[in-house]
Amino acid sequence: MRVAIDVKNIDNMLLIPSGAELTERHIGILQAWGIAEVEVEVSASAQDADPLSKFQPEVLANWTAEIKSRFWQADETHPVFLELVKLALRRRASKGHSP
Amino acid sequence: MAPTLDFLVNAVPSSLGAYQPVLEEIEAALQSPQCSLAVIGESIEKDPDLTARLLRLGNSSFYGFSTRLTTVTEAISLIGIQQVQDLILASSIVDRFAGVAEDFVSLESFWRHCLACGIGARLIALERRLPKPDKFFVAGLLHDLGRMVLYSQAPQWAQKVFELYRSEPMLLREAEARVLGYDHQQIGEALLRHWKYPLNLVIAVGFHHEPGGPKIAREEAATVHIADHLVNAMEIGSSGERRVPPLHPEAWKMLGLTTEILGPIINGIDEQIEAVQEAFLSKKAQPPPLV
Repeated sequence: MRVAIDVKNIDNMLLIPSGAELTERHIGILQAWGIAEVEVEVSASAQDADPLSKFQPEVLANWTAEIKSRFWQADETHPVFLELVKLALRRRASKGHSP
Repeated sequence: MAPTLDFLVNAVPSSLGAYQPVLEEIEAALQSPQCSLAVIGESIEKDPDLTARLLRLGNSSFYGFSTRLTTVTEAISLIGIQQVQDLILASSIVDRFAGVAEDFVSLESFWRHCLACGIGARLIALERRLPKPDKFFVAGLLHDLGRMVLYSQAPQWAQKVFELYRSEPMLLREAEARVLGYDHQQIGEALLRHWKYPLNLVIAVGFHHEPGGPKIAREEAATVHIADHLVNAMEIGSSGERRVPPLHPEAWKMLGLTTEILGPIINGIDEQIEAVQEAFLSKKAQPPPLV
């Protein structure tokens, strides 16, 4: 996994340059500086592995609507609802069809 | 007039079926001062089918032990006597409904839903580091037992429930309540109470859609509720319900989980379901190959 953007501390000191392969040592540096997140490059193979990338947006939109319609009287703002819709969509996409 | 809860409960044979002698032998062994794991193991090993099921489950990803179990005594020492008894009891209940007509739902789909809920409830308990996570599995496995009782003992009334369910937008549980005056939670609760099952299990089954019930097993009921919600949302089998019943927000809050854990729990269910289904539903489970 490669770092996408230079990682600097609060004094603007470069800790990890962009393009560097993220290592255990880097993780230790990030923890020492209290840095919780870094931007990483998404490889082409990871994009290929994303099941959603194989489908047209209209197909995904239809599936999302179908999935949401199965939830009876749901609070559509609840984080569990939002997460489950996301997971159910990914599940359908992995299978390539509705269950 | 719709059947009463008493009628349904008394219509189900109370015998534990093929596993009754084994369970009685274990009970007797536990009372004896000479009781040992080996004695209990020998009691179970008299039943080759049960032995095969237990070893298959013990060697599956459900437990994920690093060593391969080859004897029932090893399985009992790692899983625990109480847990093994619970699993045998649960298995005997599943077996009791083996020949039920599949007019309303396929048995395979019904038990897949229930087993997935059991696995999910156990994974939630493990995530929360609760003691005896297997009891959550049994509660999840039996949560929709009331439906199976209705389908098997009063099919003409189950037919009326489904006619209403298909004619108006509603939950299956609401159709049950309108046709019968009670729903599958109450049937399951009454049956397990009649069979003198532990109160925590009775409450977890009886309140899995309304986990704000009796305090004594609120945690169990909430755990089964969340597991059932996940399994319904992911469409893993079905006990007849095609919709996802509403989430009880208080149950979610009570368990103190985060949404990040939902994906891994669902993955865990997917990883374990085939092996668990094989252990519980195969008619003639073969002994696992020894590697």
